[in-house]
Amino acid sequence: MSKVTRFVLSAMIAFTMSATSAQAALSNKELKIGISQEFENFNPLIMTMVASFYMYNFVGRTLTTMDADGKWVPQLAKSIPSIENGGAKLITEAGKKKVQAVWEIKDTAKWSDGKPVVCDDFKFAREVASSPNVSVASKETYTMVERIEWDTKTPQKCTFTYEKARWDFTQLGQLYPLPKHLEEPIWKKHSSLKEGYEKNSNYNKNATLPGLYNGPYMISEVKLGSHVTFVPNPHFYGSAPKFQRIIVKLIPNTSTLEANLRSGTIDTIASLGLSFDQAIAFEKKVKADNMPFNVEFKPSLTYEHIDLNLENPMLKDVKVRKALVYAINREDLVKALFDGKQQVAIHSIATIDPWYTADPAKVTLYPYSKREATRLLDEAGWKLGADGYRAKDGKKLSLQFMTTAGNKARETVQTYLQGQWKAVGVEVIIKNEPARVFFGDTMKKREYGAMAMYAWTSSPESSPRSTFHSAQIPTAKNGWSGQNQMAWKNTKVDELIEKLEVEFDAKKRIEISNAMMKIYTDEVPVIPLFYRSDVAVIPKALKGLKLTGHQFSETNDSENWSAQ
Amino acid sequence: MTTFITRRLIQTMVVIFLLSYFCFYLMTLMPGDPVELMIQSNPKITSEDITRLRELYGLDQPAYKRYFSWVAPLVQGDLGYSRTYRVPVTELMGPKLWNTFILSFFALSLSILVSIPLGVISALRAGSKLDYFINFIAFAGISVPSFWLALILIMTFAVFFQLLPAGGTYTIGTDNAGIFEQILDRGKYLILPTISLAYLQIGRFVRFTRSAMLEAMRNDYIRTGKAKGLPRAQVVWKHGFRNALIPLIALLALSFSSLFSGALITETVFAYQGVGKLVYDSIMANDFNVAMISFMISVSMVLIMNLVADILYGVADPRISFQ
Repeated sequence: MSKVTRFVLSAMIAFTMSATSAQAALSNKELKIGISQEFENFNPLIMTMVASFYMYNFVGRTLTTMDADGKWVPQLAKSIPSIENGGAKLITEAGKKKVQAVWEIKDTAKWSDGKPVVCDDFKFAREVASSPNVSVASKETYTMVERIEWDTKTPQKCTFTYEKARWDFTQLGQLYPLPKHLEEPIWKKHSSLKEGYEKNSNYNKNATLPGLYNGPYMISEVKLGSHVTFVPNPHFYGSAPKFQRIIVKLIPNTSTLEANLRSGTIDTIASLGLSFDQAIAFEKKVKADNMPFNVEFKPSLTYEHIDLNLENPMLKDVKVRKALVYAINREDLVKALFDGKQQVAIHSIATIDPWYTADPAKVTLYPYSKREATRLLDEAGWKLGADGYRAKDGKKLSLQFMTTAGNKARETVQTYLQGQWKAVGVEVIIKNEPARVFFGDTMKKREYGAMAMYAWTSSPESSPRSTFHSAQIPTAKNGWSGQNQMAWKNTKVDELIEKLEVEFDAKKRIEISNAMMKIYTDEVPVIPLFYRSDVAVIPKALKGLKLTGHQFSETNDSENWSAQ
Repeated sequence: MTTFITRRLIQTMVVIFLLSYFCFYLMTLMPGDPVELMIQSNPKITSEDITRLRELYGLDQPAYKRYFSWVAPLVQGDLGYSRTYRVPVTELMGPKLWNTFILSFFALSLSILVSIPLGVISALRAGSKLDYFINFIAFAGISVPSFWLALILIMTFAVFFQLLPAGGTYTIGTDNAGIFEQILDRGKYLILPTISLAYLQIGRFVRFTRSAMLEAMRNDYIRTGKAKGLPRAQVVWKHGFRNALIPLIALLALSFSSLFSGALITETVFAYQGVGKLVYDSIMANDFNVAMISFMISVSMVLIMNLVADILYGVADPRISFQ
């Protein structure tokens, strides 16, 4: 190698090393966050994308929310009313039991143009959401409140009358107010047209208008598909936000997202950024290169599981279903594939949910036992043949196993499980489909042969009606609605769901939930796999950011984030 | 020629109309709809909500009714509303189309400027070391996966040397800067995606130019020109290259037709705000209005550029008639 070549190479290496180690210091002047998921406009009634809610929480607050510890806490409200504290009461109107609660909004709660947030803003939001011409995704979130009243002398003290006596009347985390003083003229003009309001709303046409937001920040720039810029809201009711500017940048390719972090183009990757396997790999790089980041993993409510098609003749026998669970070593699976950073699931309720129980007296547990799986299959009449597979009445125990094609993590899990089931003589045939076909057609119409792997996302302390109730089995008759894709029918569970939704005693609700989980784990309509973890890359200098693991994202207390 | 162009324009309009209905119908056959996506992201959505939303969006109507509901406002200039982003299609697509045009135009111009001379040189020196080297570069361009090249460029110029931005379209917050600063800033963000996109095209164009030029240079009139003692430049460019242009025009016309179609992988990897990823996402999410408008643009561009190519054939080769 010539001297010149050596000199050039050395200079390049030195330049590279100095460049990669140069990390811009984080300051309270600006925080640049990278996400990989798309977002839409920020009308809180209309938006449906997870990334939109993530960003909306920088700018919008409502009466109450769930904090990072999974507890309901007041936001715009002074306190959370309950029957015990006298803030709520059970009433009877026209022979129907209802709840009435008094929500008092903080005196300092204001929109970003300085106008106070009042009961009328909630009433207006309810009115808009109730219209058949507005595409609110979950109408019940708003219509569960039958009426909102107040005394004109106290416009921030609202009496909410709920349409029925429901214990979860305080869980209004997604019932957002709308600034009536800005949105009402648009509503009046366009309410009679299909989607007229949402197309013309200020959130759509003039998203940076002061007064649309009541959170710690307000939006100063929106470029759909690119980025959103947030600046402090001078009228925020809480402590002043520390960052003078926050930019959330959409970088759809996760490898580029990582490259952007390493080049200093962004400071942090939000929980809507890296895939789980990438996060594990990046954590190793962070440790090896001593990079100034923490890769954080937070158990979430997302429940990865396998639906069993109970109309499949082989799966009708509960012994076969139980054997399938006993035959798989989920602890090893999680350790081998996810570095032990996702928690093994034992039923549908995640560990961060207050209703979670792992008490063997309350739920049936299925520790890995090849012997137990073999015994159950023998008992069910499936005898091991010379080919290594079981058969009964000349028919091989062969099950079709489906998931979303192209999802690397799921496909690896499939292969892992296929091997374990083969060890007990069960043939598993993998047939995967693109997500839109899998969810849009196969799962919707319950056309999967035997097993289907995917995830359910829920809220803590939520009723499992949509997935457990027999009325929620998708059929042609009900237009393929409902999410009980297993076709699980259990009258006792149906009764417990009805009971759960109107039970005001918190302890009794846990008992009902436990009773349901007992039946669920006994009958095994689903094979629980693991509860997914949320992941984020957080700079060591960024303080106050706490991942939540549920739908109320970490941006809900962004006023407490700071650079140190 | 006027009759020829008028006739072709009428044919083009009919083809666009027929293809638009065909594609709209095919989209309605795809599994899932925009409501499906809402169900996946909202655990609280009920069966009643699903029915209500499908009615509101007109998804409960037969395909032909939905097609005419889409096409009627379209002829009045209303491109519709994106169900995914919940904004008018014009607002959503306008800036992205412009960004895509800029990127595609620069990439195409760069690839033409580089590949045509390289292809001609390669053909004139067929079998030489230079020819082998140019062919190696061309085959590398054809073979290298676009996402790999893009990531290598990012890692080299953005992460290690930190000379250029890793991705994006412009520096956030420079909207109020002067026009010159804005052009410079945009240029900085265009360099890597342009190189990435152009390199893939260069390989193809070089091979095509080389082969067309080799073919042209084998003709008798070239030998005659040389025998007559014409200058080499005249033989190569006036007689050789002009005849090699016919197949090149077809290739370039088709390449120009993709100016507004976007480059999905390049745009996604560089987080460039083009129309490529928008179109892909709109198809995946059954966002009919966005997908159909982008489809209409693509179809129109292909048909128009084909018409342009047919006209240019006549200009390049007077033997071709418009009758």
